[in-house]
Amino acid sequence: MILQTRPLTVTINGRRYGPIDVPEGLMMIDVLHEMLGLTGSRLGCGIGICHACVVIWDRDDQTSEEVQTCITGAGFFDGKRIRTVEGIARRNDKGEILALSPVQQAFLDQFSFQCGYCTPGFVNAATVLIERLKRAPVPRGQVEATVAAALEKHICRCTGYVRYYQAVRDLILATPGLTRDAA
Amino acid sequence: EGKTAAYLGQAVAILIYRDFARFRFAKEKLQFNDAVIRYGAVTGPLQRDPWGSSRFVRVGGPTPYDDDVFSCLKQGPVSPSYDKHEPVWPKPARDGDLGAQGMYHADTIQYELAHPPAEWLVLTRNYATQSGDTAALEPDNANGWYDADEQELHLVVPTQSPQEVAEGAAAILQRSRIGMKRLFLHPCFTVGYGSKDHCTMPYYGLLAAVYGDGRPVRLANDRFDQFQSGLKRHQFSMGYTVAVERRTGLLQSFRAEIVANGGGRANCSVALTLVGATSAQSVYYFPKNDVAATAIASRAIDSGAARGYGALETLTATELMMDEIAGELGLDAIEFRLRNVLKTGMRSAQGAVPLGTQRAETVLEQARDHALWTGRASRKQVYDAGHPGKYYGVGFACIQRRFGTGAEASLAKVELAPDGRIALSHSGTEIGTGTSSGQAIACARWLGRPADALDMAVTEWPDLPVETSGDPHSISQAEQDRLAKNPRWSPAYASASSASNSSYYFSHVTREAARVVYLHGLWPAALAMWGRDGREAAREVKPEDARWRDGALAVEGLELLPLARLAQEAHARGLVVGAAVHAFNRWQWAEADFVVDGASARAAVDALSVRYGGGAGAAKEALSTTPNRYQVLDRRTVSFPPTQNNNAMVGYNTVVGTLAEMVVDAASGKVTLLSHHTILECGNMLAPELVSSQIQGATATGIGLTLHEWLPLYEDGPGNGTWNFNRYHLPRGSDVAVWTQTADVLPPLSDREPPKGMAEVAGIPIMAAIVNGVAHAIGHRFRTLPVTPERILEVLA
Amino acid sequence: MTVRRTGLRVVIIAAVVLIVGIAAAALAMRNLWSGRTGGPVQAVNAPADVVARGKYLSEAADCAACHTAPGGAPFAGGLPMQSGFGTIYATNITPDPDDGIGRWSAEDFWRALHDGVRRDGAQLYPAMPYTSYRGMTRADADAIYAYVMQLRPMKVANRRTELNFPFNIRLGMLGWNMLFLHDSLPAVSDGRTPAWQRGRYLVNVLGHCGECHTPRGIVGEMKLSRSLIGFALGRVAAPDITPAGLASRGWTAAGLRAYLGRGLARQGSAFGDMHPVIMLSTRNLTAEDLNAVAIYLLGDNPPPPAPLPPPDATESAEAASGAGRMSYVALCAGCHGLDGNGVPNTVVAVRNNSTLRLADPRNLIVAMLDGIGAQNFSHRASMQAMPGFSDKLSDAEAAALANYLRVTWGGQKGDVAASVVRALR
Ligand code: FES
Ligand code: FES
Repeated sequence: MILQTRPLTVTINGRRYGPIDVPEGLMMIDVLHEMLGLTGSRLGCGIGICHACVVIWDRDDQTSEEVQTCITGAGFFDGKRIRTVEGIARRNDKGEILALSPVQQAFLDQFSFQCGYCTPGFVNAATVLIERLKRAPVPRGQVEATVAAALEKHICRCTGYVRYYQAVRDLILATPGLTRDAA
Repeated sequence: EGKTAAYLGQAVAILIYRDFARFRFAKEKLQFNDAVIRYGAVTGPLQRDPWGSSRFVRVGGPTPYDDDVFSCLKQGPVSPSYDKHEPVWPKPARDGDLGAQGMYHADTIQYELAHPPAEWLVLTRNYATQSGDTAALEPDNANGWYDADEQELHLVVPTQSPQEVAEGAAAILQRSRIGMKRLFLHPCFTVGYGSKDHCTMPYYGLLAAVYGDGRPVRLANDRFDQFQSGLKRHQFSMGYTVAVERRTGLLQSFRAEIVANGGGRANCSVALTLVGATSAQSVYYFPKNDVAATAIASRAIDSGAARGYGALETLTATELMMDEIAGELGLDAIEFRLRNVLKTGMRSAQGAVPLGTQRAETVLEQARDHALWTGRASRKQVYDAGHPGKYYGVGFACIQRRFGTGAEASLAKVELAPDGRIALSHSGTEIGTGTSSGQAIACARWLGRPADALDMAVTEWPDLPVETSGDPHSISQAEQDRLAKNPRWSPAYASASSASNSSYYFSHVTREAARVVYLHGLWPAALAMWGRDGREAAREVKPEDARWRDGALAVEGLELLPLARLAQEAHARGLVVGAAVHAFNRWQWAEADFVVDGASARAAVDALSVRYGGGAGAAKEALSTTPNRYQVLDRRTVSFPPTQNNNAMVGYNTVVGTLAEMVVDAASGKVTLLSHHTILECGNMLAPELVSSQIQGATATGIGLTLHEWLPLYEDGPGNGTWNFNRYHLPRGSDVAVWTQTADVLPPLSDREPPKGMAEVAGIPIMAAIVNGVAHAIGHRFRTLPVTPERILEVLA
Repeated sequence: MTVRRTGLRVVIIAAVVLIVGIAAAALAMRNLWSGRTGGPVQAVNAPADVVARGKYLSEAADCAACHTAPGGAPFAGGLPMQSGFGTIYATNITPDPDDGIGRWSAEDFWRALHDGVRRDGAQLYPAMPYTSYRGMTRADADAIYAYVMQLRPMKVANRRTELNFPFNIRLGMLGWNMLFLHDSLPAVSDGRTPAWQRGRYLVNVLGHCGECHTPRGIVGEMKLSRSLIGFALGRVAAPDITPAGLASRGWTAAGLRAYLGRGLARQGSAFGDMHPVIMLSTRNLTAEDLNAVAIYLLGDNPPPPAPLPPPDATESAEAASGAGRMSYVALCAGCHGLDGNGVPNTVVAVRNNSTLRLADPRNLIVAMLDGIGAQNFSHRASMQAMPGFSDKLSDAEAAALANYLRVTWGGQKGDVAASVVRALR
């Protein structure tokens, strides 16, 4: 069997990869895991439902959004910039972690996760949410509904969601600029 | 060629690919492609005897506190023979053998229920719970490689039961021709809810590794594979008959026929069904019980120890029935429960007196007084009037569930460095519940601080030789007594992470190891440092009564001694700075006497090794013969818990009650939880955050099993390989009342009360609470799970 | 579903009013004289089998689709139907004496279904499909009446229709009715077997399929000469379901039965407005009735399903190497598979999919842009949600993808231009 390949160039966590030859038809999660050594994104369902596998796509218009890598082919990411869970904490030149991101720290402080399998997806979802609120703050009274809507698609079997949601809510309320006072 | 598959979804072959992309594309061609396997003649499914069946009969004495006339504890359970794959119970005979006697009493109970006294209300109801998937988010997987030159096999596996895998793998390899000198098992942190316990995947991984031509082989299920082959929840059918005296509202008699579908591979179905059968009476006292339970073999996927382990199913049925009986009697559902609650000193359905103070009454009282309960009638009126087509309901359920398996064993090693850093090794494995955090914290009781370094799921214990043989559940007393003479022997070696066993059982060994270090290392070091005052103190203060304050040992009137200084001193003096222990529990801990560093010591362990600080003299050095310089101590005496405890089947219980508030939408049939409130007792909490997160997580699973999750057993079921989360709805944030749920944990009875297992129990009462709440909302009692919108629509139509 | 689009072309009602003014006025007077409010609360005690039949018929007639608002109480009305001229609300048809139809007699009910006249004598708008229901037998109407009259009464007040002048003059409908209200709708296929007859009743009358699938004229009337040839009133077009139209996209009687009975067939799954139709209505049909519907739609002698023509060699070579194929691999293949076969019980096949085989690319493009929400069907079937790709595909990319799909698996021409996509955004 001869495998067709296509070149892929992609910027992940600020680092440029490629061009590498990727067999046509491979999903991005497989490229991350098998070709790039980035194993932090999790395969939960493989059909786009659980959102354990999401990465952050940084668009040119400065917005960011979640993309499920289990159902999105590598080719989609050609020429694009993404962040995986490995790129969320602040690191030094040697790749050592200097500080967790506020979202990660909040999850840790609030015992948000248990087995941790869903956690990369929740970290990315909460990060995208906070970046969105920086651009468009919500009234304080709507924070809970906003958090619930942003995380609803993410499946967690262990935690019952409470500590995830609370951590994100508390972080948003404590971070200046993400909320406004009135409606 | 070939033979009939034992069950749907049984594995037929392992294909090994050398590069990922080819594997990936080959899988795309093979998956969902029924033509890949060629079948021979149609044989129909295998017909087999049940995996097992037992009957638990008890006739109590005049009061709940009196000796029983007949009980499981005294006489044992009744076992059947099989005819045409159905259990055939012994012929009843009052003076026959134990089985015949048991059946005599069972017959009497049955007759009485069929011809009850006039003042009895007798209710017969059938309940059923569904097959389901544990849906641990990490699918089963196994990685391994075989080094033919060195004849070494390495396995990296996520498992709840590292010890079982190590033994199983070794047993397989022993019988193979490949020749293997060493097996390295590297267990990893994982999650399972029972599906990674007694699971075959590690062994498939082992086979793949052996045939991997020396390359590392990775075997990993995707979600379709996981549904197809992962261990399933047993499907239960339960026929209950309960008698209650109308005037007093007191329960009189309980009869049940329980059938659990264990699927096509002999797994833990017998034990699980037994747990379900013996848990069914929950927090209530019944003067008479006759519970027959059978685990059947079928062509369904093999079933395993899914969270709740049989008790989830039988307790849910019981709690549905309690509400219905209360309704029939016109009693408040909690008031009715309180009248019948099992109190301290009363006998359980097996005839044993449960250990410790029974707290179900307190939980019930708290629930009865809770605003959700007291105001429910008026809130319903207001809500229903203001929301046409919506029906408000509040439901309650309360259960108790034992934690542990009745043969719990584990090992721990606690070691103190000269600078006071604490290292803990433990045989238990982390499955996401916080076991590792909990064990680290458990060190603090005796060492003043949590452990700094952790090594969990340790399978090799060169410093603590322990031998085991026989089955701890079925061994005879004589055999146990004989084997116990060997100072290295214990009835069991190391438990899986299951049955909510970490906080109580795992912590026990951690604490015992830490206690040895404290008593034989830190305390003598402290006395030395306090000098003459210390010797005075030693006379007045028992070492157990000293307290840690901010990481320093505090005794009234004496200098505060930080752990680091004590550790340094203990090391310099060659005192005990490390201890490795093994402990065994059969609803009671084994205890043994040792001589530790010249002092006699009794501990609730059956094996102990100690390590001395660097200042130990040559004599002690010479005794320290293990690889890590531990001295292996021979126990002087040992008392193992009697084998009769196996029949008691109750030891340590945790009680939990849950109130659930909901709305049923008549147009869609959807049940929406508005809030829920859990009341739990679990002794002293290791970490309140871990307890509450277990309540939250388990409750979510309970909600899923009540309203959403369901798998067909057979041809349409997951064995066909087309199941995923699109069809198996796991609860989302919007399903669980994320912002409005609350919980109360009862304060411990004393600060010495140990932590209790609670992770599994917390998810059970929400189930019946929801179904009872639906009955409050729309007046219909469902007896089969899950309660789906379609079923509600049918009722409301 | 009927209503969302029917209210729409009421625009020209005013003109019609003028044309038939006089006759209408006379009729109107009669209706209003005979119209009533108040009166006794009806006590209906129909035998259980009549109620059961009424329930079945109400499902076949899909009453709940409009009379149960999302999130609202069953049959208590409230579903808003937008039109360019205002909003029409479905009414409460539970037996509540004040808010519902608790005072309506069977005769009143019959007149509403048959003539489009309310108990108080006012005209209904054809958002209520009495144009189709007119063919209903009196016995069936009475059975539905018996069923709804034993529902739980719901205290939900009706909302006033919010049409602007002159469309708010209900009298205008009189003239419209004189022109467009027919006793029976034409047959779309040939047949004479009892099953065909039954199918015709189910499709034309109870199912009121034509309300969506038949094109509408300028005053919102069904163009009966072109019955069921398909019409795009909503975002997703109702496709051609004449025998020829169905056969050209590979439909067979078995496929139709599966589709209507379970929402899922080899040819595709129900999405858009058809999903609730299946869930609320057709899946409840008996096997005989489902079969009757299929027989009527295809005729007693069904045309053979057209095989998927082999793709045009040059076109497909072009498609396979171009941007469309790249987008397919990047965005679609993860679920639909490189071979287009989908995943059983999870993702529909795109190969030979009925929507790809439509000459009009509209529905395909709409699905690509908007996505399709998760679709739960009965029998525990559930298709996962399809994400929308409007923010991931440019007009040109979406057009290329549509063309790739049409050429490769739809037997259609790769003639979709970027402008077509732009128009649908
Ligand atoms: S693994 Fe990608 S969404 Fe579940
Ligand atoms: S923490 Fe285990 S799945 Fe979320």
